[in-house]
This record gives sequence, C-alpha cells and structure tokens, in this order.
Amino acid sequence: MTVFLAVLASLAILLAVFWLLFGSPAAEPSLSFDTREIEKVLPVNCRHFPQISQLLSQEDIQFMRERAPHHIQSKWRGERRRILKQYLSGLRQDFGRLERLARLIAAFSPEIRKRQEWEWVWLALQFHFSYRMVALKLAMGSFSPEGLAGLTEMIAGLTSELENRMALIAEHSPSRMRTDVGG
Amino acid sequence: MGLSLFESVHWAATVLIEVVVLTFALRRKLFDQLPVFTIYLCILVANEAIVSLTYSFAGIRSHTSFYVYWAMQAVQVSIRAIVVYEICQALLSRYTGIWKLCRPLLITLGLVLAGSAAATSRQRVHPISATTLMAERGLEFTVVSILIFGLIFCRYYGVWIDRHLAWIALGLGFYSAVQVANNTFLRGEPMTHLPVLQIIRQTSFNIATIFWLVALWKPLPARQPAPVLLGPGEYDRLAPQMTLRLRELNSRLLEMWK
Repeated sequence: MTVFLAVLASLAILLAVFWLLFGSPAAEPSLSFDTREIEKVLPVNCRHFPQISQLLSQEDIQFMRERAPHHIQSKWRGERRRILKQYLSGLRQDFGRLERLARLIAAFSPEIRKRQEWEWVWLALQFHFSYRMVALKLAMGSFSPEGLAGLTEMIAGLTSELENRMALIAEHSPSRMRTDVGG
Repeated sequence: MGLSLFESVHWAATVLIEVVVLTFALRRKLFDQLPVFTIYLCILVANEAIVSLTYSFAGIRSHTSFYVYWAMQAVQVSIRAIVVYEICQALLSRYTGIWKLCRPLLITLGLVLAGSAAATSRQRVHPISATTLMAERGLEFTVVSILIFGLIFCRYYGVWIDRHLAWIALGLGFYSAVQVANNTFLRGEPMTHLPVLQIIRQTSFNIATIFWLVALWKPLPARQPAPVLLGPGEYDRLAPQMTLRLRELNSRLLEMWK
C-alpha cells in the first residue's frame, strides 16, 4: 500500500512539475508595467452591464408575464438564464483579471506584505467558491437578477478606480519608477 | 571491475552524456547564470571517475565502494537542493518584492524537510543501506518540494520561465520524483533488489541528463534586463484599495448565494 501511494505521489509530483513548467505560458518574457499591459488585465465584461440591465428590467419581466403565451415565456426565461450565466462567467473573468492586476502590482513592487498577499489568495478562493454557488443557484433557476446587478456595479467601480490609478502610474513612470537589480 | 557488458556499456553511455552536457554548459557560458548547476555537472563527471577508481581498487562489493558511492550520492543530492534554490533565485530574484517573500519560505521548507528526513532515517532499525535509502528519499523529496514551491510562486505571479531553465528544472524534478518512489519501493529489502534499484536510478538519471542536454542544445537567451519597478509607496497605496473592493465583492457574492 505504501509503495502504491509513493508511486502515485511521485506521478502526481511529476505531473505538477510538468504543468508548472510547461502549462499555459504565464506571461510575456518582457513583462512591463505600461498602459497596454494594464489594459490587458483590466476587467472588460462588466462594461456590458447596460445591455444586461435591460435583460434584468422588471418591466420586461412584467410584460412577458402579462402578454406572452406560456411556451414563449419559458423559452424567454431559458434564454435569459443562459445569457445571465454567460455574463456571470464574464464577471468571473473580470475578477480573474483583477487578481492578475493585483499580482502584477506585487510583482513590480520592491516591497510586498506577506499578510496582504495571503489575504488576496484567501479572497480569491472565497470568490471562486461563492461564484460556483451563485452559478449553481442560477442553473436551478432560484436566482435574483438584482444581486448580479450589484456585483457588476462593484466590479465596474473597482475597475474605474484602478484604471485611473494605473494610468496615473504609467503616465508618470519615468519619474515614479526605478530600475532595480534583483539579487 | 566486476561489471557485466550491459552495465559497462550503460556506464560508458552515462559518462558520455554527462561529458557532452558539461561541454555544452561550458560552451553556452551557463556558469554566468547558474554557477552551482555548472559545478554540479563537473561533480557528476568527477563522480564517475572517483567511483570507477574505487571499484577498480577496492572491488565493487567492498565496504569502501559502498561508502564512497553513498558519500558521493549525498554530495550530489545536497548540491541538487542548492541548484533548485538557484533556479528559483534565477527566476524570481528580478522581482525584488516577490523574492523577498519567497526566499525565507523556500529556506524554511528546505530546512524542515531535510531535518525531518534526517530524523526519520535515524529512527530506522534497518541496516545501513535501508537507512541511507530513507535519508536519500527524504532529501530527494526536499529537492522536489523546493522546486514545486518556487514554481508555484512563478505561476501565481505570472513570472516567465525561460526554456532552458524549464528543462533543467524538469530534469531535476523528474529524477527526484522517481527516486522518491524508487527508494520507497526498496525500503524493506534494499540489498535483494539492488540491481533493480540501480537500473531505475541510472535510467532516470540518464533521462534527466537528456533533459539537460535539450536545455543547453540551443544558445541561451539573452538575460532580460531587470524590470522597472513601481515606486516604493505604490503597493501600500494600491493594495488596501484592492483588498477592500475584493472583500466587498466577496461579501456581496456570499449574500447572493446564501
């Protein structure tokens, strides 16, 4: 049994090493903190919220309930759920981008706080767990669209704040950044 | 020397690959980037000469050969641990903040695992060979753990891994992982299964050296200039904002599914 476990553990270790080394490339070799790089990591899906908010409007729901035949209503609900699901997945991508931005900030900072970094790891774990739960709720049809609206506003707010902050840093880069010889 | 024809051919092939890898390493000026790994490659070639001479003079089954062989293995596994640390340093030290965070963790992990390997092997009541295998298994596990820990940091922070470093690391990780399983398999009756141990050990080592040859086959990429870092206070200004928003985001999401 011990031998079997050891072989299994070794295989797992090997796969982990291989994945960590040759899994999807993590970043460009010449990673820099310029505007283009920042744009790549800022959330984008939350910007589509106006279109989504139309889908979530109570008037539409009321209208469909009153006017549309039952089979059209259920088809509409199914389609709405599908779009919301896609949108929720987009929000997850946005969160991932924010996470990436947080790591980029850490990577390019001469000093980082251990506690802060662990907190980001913990928050990311929490987010992914909660996201799964919300997605499950959505799949089961017991989900309030208002919650999604609130979530979107928050990501959009954070994006806007970071966008301004990052643009400021990038603009002032020659005076505010320094070259550091690692060692 | 007491080796069969197959063993002699295998041994000759091993030496040849090691010499070729060392030649490539010197030609590619690997010493500038990975000095400890280059020294390790020199030690590998020297090890073959030392072990071969010992076998010739003392005989392959003698106590002297046994102790010389395992002493050399101990030296090699210790240097491999340092090489793994060196690779992590080559990857992460350009990012000062990350490296400052990672380095103490790597050192602590290495010391704890090596210490526990030493403690475990001392508790064994088996013969010396079994104790040696246990100690070696612990040290190989330390090597591969340090490697994985460093690579997790690279992956998490999106640090680019150069092709040659990836292949060198793969060789080290592969050999150590195989040895962990190999030494566990043989922990009970090591002497009975010694030929099997040796075949697996040497074959996995040959595969590792081929990975290193692949790493050094092409010219090494030019060293990237050190990245331009943010100002010292930017992290402290940005991090709390990010944390606050991410916390809010999480509590909102939590409310949604509860």
